[in-house]
Amino acid sequence: MKLLRDQINRYLSPGALVILIIAIIAIIIAALLPRQPATGIPMWISAEPHFHAYKPFAREWNERHPERAINLVLLHGTAMERRMLSGFMAGTPVADIIEPNIGVAAKAFAGPLESVGFLDLTERVEAEGLLDKINRPSFAPYTSRGRIFGLPHDVHPVLLAYRADIVEAAGIDVSQIETWEDYFRVLRPLMVDTTGDGRPNRYLLEAWHTNPHAPSIILLQAGGMLIDENDRPALNYPRNAEVLARLITWMAGPNRVCVDIETYSASGHRQRLDGLAVGFLVPDWMAGSWKRENPGLGGKLKLMPIPAWEKGGRRTSVAGGTMLGFNRHTEHFETAWEFAKELYLSPVLAEQMFRDTNIITPVKALWDSPIFDQPDPFFSGQPSGRLYIEQAPHVPRRPSSPYVVSGLERFTNVLGALRRYADRNQIYDEAALRIEAQRLLDEAQAEFERFIGRNVFLARAP
Amino acid sequence: MKATRFNPAPWLFLAPFLGIFCLFTIWPLLRSFILALQQTYGPGTTEWVGLHNFRYLLTDPLFWKAAANTVRFTLGSLLVQLPIALGLALLLNRPGIRGRGFFRLTFFAPSLVGLPFVAMLFAPILEKRTGLINATLHQLFPLWDPEFAWMQEYVMSSLILAALWMYAGFNMVYFLAALQNVSKDLLEAAEIDGANAWQRFRHVTLPEIAPIAGFITLLSVIGSFQMFELSFILLNNSGGPENRGLTIMMYLYQSGFVVGDLGYASAIGWVLALTLMGIALFQRWAARRYEER
Repeated sequence: MKLLRDQINRYLSPGALVILIIAIIAIIIAALLPRQPATGIPMWISAEPHFHAYKPFAREWNERHPERAINLVLLHGTAMERRMLSGFMAGTPVADIIEPNIGVAAKAFAGPLESVGFLDLTERVEAEGLLDKINRPSFAPYTSRGRIFGLPHDVHPVLLAYRADIVEAAGIDVSQIETWEDYFRVLRPLMVDTTGDGRPNRYLLEAWHTNPHAPSIILLQAGGMLIDENDRPALNYPRNAEVLARLITWMAGPNRVCVDIETYSASGHRQRLDGLAVGFLVPDWMAGSWKRENPGLGGKLKLMPIPAWEKGGRRTSVAGGTMLGFNRHTEHFETAWEFAKELYLSPVLAEQMFRDTNIITPVKALWDSPIFDQPDPFFSGQPSGRLYIEQAPHVPRRPSSPYVVSGLERFTNVLGALRRYADRNQIYDEAALRIEAQRLLDEAQAEFERFIGRNVFLARAP
Repeated sequence: MKATRFNPAPWLFLAPFLGIFCLFTIWPLLRSFILALQQTYGPGTTEWVGLHNFRYLLTDPLFWKAAANTVRFTLGSLLVQLPIALGLALLLNRPGIRGRGFFRLTFFAPSLVGLPFVAMLFAPILEKRTGLINATLHQLFPLWDPEFAWMQEYVMSSLILAALWMYAGFNMVYFLAALQNVSKDLLEAAEIDGANAWQRFRHVTLPEIAPIAGFITLLSVIGSFQMFELSFILLNNSGGPENRGLTIMMYLYQSGFVVGDLGYASAIGWVLALTLMGIALFQRWAARRYEER
């Protein structure tokens, strides 16, 4: 024993000995940990609420079809993106069924059509009449060069949520609001300075030039676009300049009515609760997220269609999205397809999803479900589901280009540059700003065209 | 003359290192250079584009914006961080200061936590209205605008401030080590000869710590050029408003992993590597010139 101790002391210092012992113990523990080999056809999901909603459904499916079991795997969004793209590009293992969000899915469309890692579903979708069953505009972000690569999980219409407690206490009737101009005029009395420091303590809309959320929603609502229907850059589309110029009149200068609030931070939720802003652009999923993360807002908010850009204009927009796609090399497509259809067309799951996340289904036949008419205490008893569904058919079309995110970055940068121009020259007149906006957009368009033009694979597309 | 016999022993001992070095350093370097000459969508879909990626880079306004931002961050780091680090080291090297150990640990502690933590910490500190800085300044000076947009209008200054908090103490330790090696005899001799504190610092301390200062400068330059995590987290995986916080490393990441243009990202990586190599060679040349003088 002494000999052994001497030998150990000779070769190992006490520190090295401790490390060695810890390593040995860790190896033993790792080896003894019970392992559950994954069985079934893997399906990757990155949205946690979706995962929890699908679990009972998958369990029930697996009991009915033990030989064709589905194995749900929850992955972090970034992990899914990296693994999915690596698999598509380099052939590393990828799940048979994948549910990526709109931004991740679009990245799969950057190469030649024959290299898209998702299975082309066009014929299947047409043959089974899914284009009629599912809200048609919801397919657009997952359709590249005329081919459909995914089933839409959602519609994500946007409504305006406003602080009903504040608005109604001031005796303001929102039913007279049709356009944005009406909105700001009618609510203007709410912009008050309660602390006497010369700054309003309340603004009329949460929107800012550094946060693309609201500008992108308003751009789509107004009929603007970053990429056209042929997937070509359209940054300098004249309507975009009009949107930029008007946004600046809202966000800067003496008549500023907008405020920026952190989207997901605790301080942002606190400021919403304190009434720093009266109105918010809220897609259905965000309403669900606020219910979980900021329950204090419950009973203080009401929903209404977004004020139109111009009289008679569109009263909604769209933000976010998720699709369900299939690995083009899957050996279990028929099972995966059957499961996917059951999952996405299931009335039970649609209701469950709405209850858990406030997300409305894109399946039109399910829109009649009474669950969407139930009063929602969070929105002061309004039937929030029905209000979102009423706007669902009118959501604007979105492209599937992998360059949408890059386009939005450039659009937001132009918005920031225009704001600096306005402040520097003290110009807050919409017509004057539109000229500068168009000039900045033309510059950005030229650079964006060059940037996209680098992609030899898309350039060759028919 | 007798020919030297080949002795395989050294090569056998070196073999494990050489194998790993070739596999994980040389081969990826070579591969990335090949990638820089291609446009690719995975190994199965590549297109040979020659020097097009490098040519595009030369005329890419975003790359030059990222380069200018990186240089600005580097200069900010050098001109603010290093003098403060040296000042702290000089202060904490004085024998008369009570609690020297505590202060040394306090100033060094931020560097133990890592850049992602610093970024997470500074994000709420720099927020409008509710951020620690704006809220405090507004309390102290009611005229201070609580909506002062640090992360929107002063992106680079905010990044420099966050990096300063982390690295000033770290560099201070290097300077402290260098200061403790300054010859006491020389300092005493200078004092006896009538040199004042500034003259002793200028003519004795500074030349003595110059090699370490050069080394710290080089490390700071390389670290600043490779700055990624701080802006990645603070600016939420973007270049910030109007790309005012976009650094070369961020642009490389965005090109490769957000846009998916791995060929272009490799070209950016090579330009960055060659730039850093140039700076390191210049630093060596300058240091040698200084020693020769």
